[in-house]
Amino acid sequence: MMFREMPLTLPVSRIRKENDTLRTFYFDQPLPANPGQFIMVNIHGVGEKPFSLLTAGIKGFAFTAKRLGPFTQALFNLDVGEKLAIRGAFGQGFTVTGKKILMVGGGYATPPLHYLAQQIRRDSIEQLVIVNGARSAADLLYVEEFETVADVYHSATDDGSTGFHGTAVDCMQELMKDQDFDQVYVSGPELMSAAAVQVLNKMDLPYEVCLERYMKCGVGVCGSCVMDPTGLVLCMEGPVLKKEHLQPVTDFGHFHRDKTGCVHSF
Amino acid sequence: MHFLGREISSPLVLASGILGISFSSLQRVISEGAGMVTTKSLSLEPRAGHEGPILAEFEGGMINSVGLTNPGIEEGLLEVEKYHESCDAPVIVSIFGGSQQDFVKLAERVNDSVGDFLELNLSCPNVEDEFKRPFALDIDKVVDMVSTVKQVSELPVLPKLSPNALDLAEIASAAEQAGADGLTLINTLGHGMVVDAIAGRPVLKNNFGGISGPCIKPLAIKLINDVYQAVSIPIIGTGGVTTGLDAVEMMMAGAAVVSIGTAVYYRGVTAFTHIKAELDDFMRQQDYQHYEDLIGVLEMNP
Repeated sequence: MMFREMPLTLPVSRIRKENDTLRTFYFDQPLPANPGQFIMVNIHGVGEKPFSLLTAGIKGFAFTAKRLGPFTQALFNLDVGEKLAIRGAFGQGFTVTGKKILMVGGGYATPPLHYLAQQIRRDSIEQLVIVNGARSAADLLYVEEFETVADVYHSATDDGSTGFHGTAVDCMQELMKDQDFDQVYVSGPELMSAAAVQVLNKMDLPYEVCLERYMKCGVGVCGSCVMDPTGLVLCMEGPVLKKEHLQPVTDFGHFHRDKTGCVHSF
Repeated sequence: MHFLGREISSPLVLASGILGISFSSLQRVISEGAGMVTTKSLSLEPRAGHEGPILAEFEGGMINSVGLTNPGIEEGLLEVEKYHESCDAPVIVSIFGGSQQDFVKLAERVNDSVGDFLELNLSCPNVEDEFKRPFALDIDKVVDMVSTVKQVSELPVLPKLSPNALDLAEIASAAEQAGADGLTLINTLGHGMVVDAIAGRPVLKNNFGGISGPCIKPLAIKLINDVYQAVSIPIIGTGGVTTGLDAVEMMMAGAAVVSIGTAVYYRGVTAFTHIKAELDDFMRQQDYQHYEDLIGVLEMNP
């Protein structure tokens, strides 16, 4: 029961520029984790934020960050060799199941699907279809990696600049007209995920969704990420939720809490 | 059992600052086996608290510098209202302010709510830079605060005291004379500091934080016992309780009920279920009929 869980303070081994506002930070240290789990990343003297794992395992791990505020600006100022303190991996990830698998992702919320797609053993499934949505072609992430691991890959862009013209959920509905799936994994902006879930509930398909909430401690104590009305502690019992755990959560697609705990609509 | 005239199903209480932002987490803790819950300490305005990392573990417990994160009194009391729509177990509304006027305003606001008890957080060690020395360290300030809040509060008033005060029993006794209906003790100890040796820096962004967990339990039990000898109002005992046996120890030392916080880190939300089961096992094995029978039965060696 009693253990000492110190942060791992590690040098960044590689930085990959995804586009103008997104960068991926790589570390050589092995990290045992599951797709969907997250880490807390601390820049000493600046602050600490949660990030979903893009990949992890014996060869190291990585996360992708979008430049949004002071923390990510400080992150973008780092060079290879500079150190970050990492806690985790935390939370419950995806369960790998199904033979005909569909992944639906949107924007920069796709790292968990990237990691999951790597982990699925190709000889144990019949088909892996990936739908990757974004506003436009320039915002699409990990296209090459997804194309490599998927049997069928679709980009979907809101502006039609490449691939399917429409949202990832629109694209998913098109695909489902003439294809059967037995497991669906969703990770996107919450309103996209909520739209996907609405469709999946009607079709009575099993699914898992990776969610995001303001998280401060990562270990189920501070209460920042609790979801109503079940009191689900997302950092411990999520961030990936199975259909049966997500269905009673009325906050999903409607409300989230800010860093003080005040409730806001999406 | 009863606490200040209210029937409660178990002597376990959710400590302030743990989980308690949303009505649903409070309800969940009750369904896990707690008899009462305490809200996060609510201030007049919403507070984001300190930047992370806000929490660092060490061998005997953890240090935290949450910094009184809370959605403010208005939003906080809305959560209490939602909580009571489907849950009867009493809520201790914890309040915090930088001045006596703040506490008075907050207490008046809580009068108009469905809260059941009023906890005065006079002892948070994490906001000294902002609010100076905690009130709980100064006997005159405690007396002044308690008597002033008692004049306006329609709820039973429970000041939360600090283990950093050298004369805690004396302060507790003075609080009782000033009108306190009960006491919560102890708040986190120290400040403590945990160092990230690779980085050569403290782990916490705030550098230091209040110490909680198993390492402060013996201190909490001794102080609760000192205070129990000195006062006749009920004590909400808190400090490092992680198992049912810990709760028994603390009640024997004089706690009327036992508040649980850091154990949620070690055992999850289900800590309440486990601790209650362990407590009930002890009662059965040792032939205690009622939880009340444990309170203050500690016999000191001659």
